[in-house]
Amino acid sequence: MAVIRDAGSAGAALAEPTGPARIGVIDRRIPPGVRMTVRPRIATAAITASAVAAWLFLVALPEGHRGPLWTLGVVVGVSFLGTGITAWRLHPRNRVGPLMAAVGIAWLPQQFLIGTAAPPPLVVWLGACGLWAGLACHLFLAYPTGRLDGLPSRILVGAAYAESVVLPGAAAAARADLPEPLRSLPPLVDGIRWQTVVVTGAAVVGLSVLRWREGSVAQRHAVTPVVAASLVATVAFVADHVAAGWGWGMQPLFVYTMFGAFITVPLAYLGSLIRRRIDHGRVADLVVRLRSRKQPDGLENALAAVLHDPTLRVGYWTADQDRYVDTEGGPVDLPPKESGRVMTRVDRGGARLAVLLHDAALLEQPLLVEAACAAASLALENERLTADLKARLRQLAASRARMLRWGEAERRRIERDLHDGVQQRLLSVAMTLGLAEATARPDRRDALIGEAKASVLAALDDLRAVSHGIHPPVLTERGLPGAVKELAAVAPVPVECVIDAVEPLPPAVESAAYYIVNEALANVTKHARANRAWVRLARSEDRLEVEIGDDGRGGADPARGSGLRGLAHRAEANGGRLRLDSRKDGGTVLRVTMPCA
Amino acid sequence: MRVAICEDSALFREGMVRLLTEAGFQVAAAVDDAETLLALVGEDRPDVAVLDIRLPPTHTDEGLRAARTLRRRHPEIGVLVLSQYVRVSYAVELLGGGVEGVGYLLKDRVSDLAEFAAAIRRVGSGGSALDPVVVEQLVSRHRQPDDPLIQLTGRERDVLHLMAEGRTNLAIAERLAIAERTVEKHCTNIFGKLGLEAGPHDHRRVLAVLRYLNA
Repeated sequence: MAVIRDAGSAGAALAEPTGPARIGVIDRRIPPGVRMTVRPRIATAAITASAVAAWLFLVALPEGHRGPLWTLGVVVGVSFLGTGITAWRLHPRNRVGPLMAAVGIAWLPQQFLIGTAAPPPLVVWLGACGLWAGLACHLFLAYPTGRLDGLPSRILVGAAYAESVVLPGAAAAARADLPEPLRSLPPLVDGIRWQTVVVTGAAVVGLSVLRWREGSVAQRHAVTPVVAASLVATVAFVADHVAAGWGWGMQPLFVYTMFGAFITVPLAYLGSLIRRRIDHGRVADLVVRLRSRKQPDGLENALAAVLHDPTLRVGYWTADQDRYVDTEGGPVDLPPKESGRVMTRVDRGGARLAVLLHDAALLEQPLLVEAACAAASLALENERLTADLKARLRQLAASRARMLRWGEAERRRIERDLHDGVQQRLLSVAMTLGLAEATARPDRRDALIGEAKASVLAALDDLRAVSHGIHPPVLTERGLPGAVKELAAVAPVPVECVIDAVEPLPPAVESAAYYIVNEALANVTKHARANRAWVRLARSEDRLEVEIGDDGRGGADPARGSGLRGLAHRAEANGGRLRLDSRKDGGTVLRVTMPCA
Repeated sequence: MRVAICEDSALFREGMVRLLTEAGFQVAAAVDDAETLLALVGEDRPDVAVLDIRLPPTHTDEGLRAARTLRRRHPEIGVLVLSQYVRVSYAVELLGGGVEGVGYLLKDRVSDLAEFAAAIRRVGSGGSALDPVVVEQLVSRHRQPDDPLIQLTGRERDVLHLMAEGRTNLAIAERLAIAERTVEKHCTNIFGKLGLEAGPHDHRRVLAVLRYLNA
């Protein structure tokens, strides 16, 4: 069971062979880009110790009115700190955990202000009172990955940090007895406090909404509770400042709202963590569900439900056609890069099984995806066999229709050739001979007879061309090896023939192989600018292998030009397949295998 | 000159008998399969055997194989292969590195009795008769860049082409409407350019043709 993940890139990474070494791979090593200076366990211990110390210190504070707001504040701090540490331990690579814990710690100085009429004496201490707001802003914009994406987020977070230090600092300094000329500056800054907060808050709300809207269904599904709580908290925070600035009396309402919303943030995050655990549990449910599955799309739907990604699609590997197909055998388009879709390849016993096309949000839960794939691997294998069969049937039907059309067109062409060529010429012969019969002059009669003979010879030429089109006579006389030698002999490029004992062959296969070699050598002459070419005919058990190669300029593309596609169709019509290996730096090899039992 | 005919189509066979008798040949035998022809030729040695390629029992390449056998077993008997189609690979196989007493013509050529009779006579007397179409195909195959044939003038090439069809200098002169002496001069030039020295048996004509045919 191997799950190989490849974000968005279709062909390149998938084409790589995967050996047994890659079985069970989900790379959980920390990549060099992620900085982890503190090991989580040590961090946990340090933070817990300092938190306990801080809270002991606070609780031990002899004075202060520990009203409901104060209690609520304690709950906010504890919930942020606790959730942060838990998240950090569960997902050491995600910075959301440490950020939450930091918010919890930075919240502490705030508690000093609650219910205290007089400001504490330490100006520096007060400067740190607002730091939690900067951290919270950082957390909101970095959620859920823990990284800040894009310059606007970074600038905004930087501004929020600056404000969170400067604004409370200025407020404290304005009350302190500072000497001139420093005295006039803090009130000036303090005077535009609520305006600054409104601007920053609006920017945070705007950016959060934008990020939420850009996210996929699955991403929204995961982040909505936390984002909603953050938005409410931000709006309440701004409203509190506006109310304070304008001297409204509604401040307590906003503060309570903000505190309430703030408690919801870590709780919602905790909830999403718990839900992930539950999701893992649902994988077991998946196994049971798959056993009783009836509908053809059951597996895809079941995986989509378990992984919470309604857009999830499954592509089954068909080695025969070298591509992924759906349960009906139709081709599955792999997502292009930067489409936000991710492919997760599922292997079984070293063989390609299927590919899950899913939302990038699932990358956050590699273990869940792996578990789901492991649980579904047997069902995937069964489904793959069915899909493979249906893909073959589709190909066969398409090929049969093509051959019927082609046969019909051929018959029409032959009829037209006979009508316009041989029939007209023979008619003219009859006419000329009639004239000769009727004429009395011997010299005139001789000329007419000569004319009739020329027409008959021309008719013979026409007939030769028509019958060559129907079936190459050399194939009748010499079989495939002789016919290939003839093609090599008349080719303008020297062609080396390596021909094993391939006969007897079914006539259809012989014919197809002849036309393929004919067309391929014509391509070599027309396009390859080759000095030499070769044709190899071999038979391994019940398959005929035909190889046409040259040392020309390469770069042949089956997608361009109908010639190569026509050859592929001929091979497919005989249950075979065509492979083209044409390198950019020169040389083209065309290989066709067809069953010939 | 005695001729044996091997042709499975009764219509064409009887036509040939009439034609050749008319042209003054003695038709020694007219059979419809290669086995009978091979057996017959062994006893009653004709001067020329005229064969079709597709013959019973499989109607594939029996005639061509019989022609090769004849050339190996009885080099003194001329072999003329007639076919609806001409193929380069068959020509190479039939010639087998020599142009003595061998011919390969399209069946269409029977329509010109004089030409056809002349071709049979040439093959019967150790010469050759190759269809212009065969010669054209053999000549137009890929060649080495340093091939001396490239140095030939257009007229010399025409002469060599007719020579390859098996024609005599007189016939070439008639065909090109030039004097026989001029044809001889062209021949000397051709032999010189191809680096063919005059030997005790003047084999140069055959060598030049083989070189030309790339056979």
